[in-house]
Amino acid sequence: MSIRHGLLALLSGGPRYGYQLRVEFEASTGATWPLNIGQVYTTLSRLERDGLVAPGGADDQGRTLYAITEAGREELATWFATPVGQTDRPRDELVIKIAMAVAAADVDVAGVILAQRMATMRTLQELTRAKRGVADGAAQRLVLDSMIFKAEAEQRWLDHCEAVLKERKA
Amino acid sequence: MSVLEMREVTRTFGDVPALRGVTLAVGRGELLAVMGPSGSGKSTLLNLAGGLDRPTSGSVSVEGADLASVRDLAALRRGGIGYVFQDLNLIPSLTAAENVMLPRELDGVRAGRAREEAEAALREVGADEVAGRFPGELSGGQRQRVAIARALVGERCLLLADEPTGALDTATGDDILRLLRERCDAGAAVLLVTHEPRYAAWADRVVYLRDGRVADSTAEALESAR
Ligand SMILES: Nc1ncnc2c1ncn2[C@@H]1O[C@H](COP(=O)(O)OP(=O)(O)OP(=O)(O)O)[C@@H](O)[C@H]1O
Ligand SMILES: [Mg+2]
Repeated sequence: MSIRHGLLALLSGGPRYGYQLRVEFEASTGATWPLNIGQVYTTLSRLERDGLVAPGGADDQGRTLYAITEAGREELATWFATPVGQTDRPRDELVIKIAMAVAAADVDVAGVILAQRMATMRTLQELTRAKRGVADGAAQRLVLDSMIFKAEAEQRWLDHCEAVLKERKA
Repeated sequence: MSVLEMREVTRTFGDVPALRGVTLAVGRGELLAVMGPSGSGKSTLLNLAGGLDRPTSGSVSVEGADLASVRDLAALRRGGIGYVFQDLNLIPSLTAAENVMLPRELDGVRAGRAREEAEAALREVGADEVAGRFPGELSGGQRQRVAIARALVGERCLLLADEPTGALDTATGDDILRLLRERCDAGAAVLLVTHEPRYAAWADRVVYLRDGRVADSTAEALESAR
């Protein structure tokens, strides 16, 4: 994904200036994706070059407002309509670590699994605390939920590893 | 003082050692989650904590009272302990509301008030519209909510819940955990058995059971949460 499409999505709700885009972007992603203001302006100028946004005057404090163009709306619709692929994910270090622990001699695999499980559980606890703190803001909550589901999948996979390895030893 | 304290508890069924020396404590306002593979002793632990079963050795005390020396265990259970059973245990010939009222009526609360409390508890778990139905007329998730309402009704110092989210979708499961958490914040101690990490993560502390023993616990996280 791109910051590009995130900014287009925010602009589809009406013209905004740069700093406002940054604040709204962080709020709707539950502050899991911090942006600096430089990134916002670089992205806006590329969007402008591509005809997807246009500067639309200034607000009463002289800040330049940007508006989405018709081409921008089409681009956004295409983005929402296109599923995200699984292919370009980076290799998962944990998977490789466990695989190597099983393959190598003299590694306490159960110990590696347990340590990882405790660490992942602590992450889950932190994410859940953050979620409890979200008063209203469905977008933020759903971003945290997504991270919770991913951490949970990792926990389940670790349980599975433990069970499979136990079976093989028995 | 801890609400629940278990010391070196063992429980053996015939020659099956279900628990082999478990020590743990749950304080007021604390939510403790117990995880572990099937057969690791989770339900056994909960039954002992609620005085539904007796340890082979070791001691269990609730609010400072050693369960081995409590004469009227049933009264202690009804008065201070709310229990959500893994298989729910709703009485089929009573409506949802009557199931929730039952523990209060046994406590001697008069029917009118017991009904009001039951209705409030059913509302809390989002099951008020099924109050008049029998368990056989409810979906699995609705039955589960009624069983949770029954555990919440009245003043409980200790809530014991065995897989209370088993039949619920994840959004509803979150609502139930939020409820249990609120009870904690109001001063109750909660012991939650779950195999779902997302729900265990609501706890202050997570204990892993394996083969009847505590394999590990996130004790540090508790310290930093306080
Ligand atoms: N009443 C009983 N009589 C004989 N054995 C029992 C009894 N209750 C439990 N057990 C045994 O004790 C062990 C622990 O059982 P327990 O029900 O506590 O497991 P659990 O962790 O709750 O599992 P699950 O996740 O499947 O509910 C198992 O080996 C079980 O067969
Ligand atoms: Mg069980």
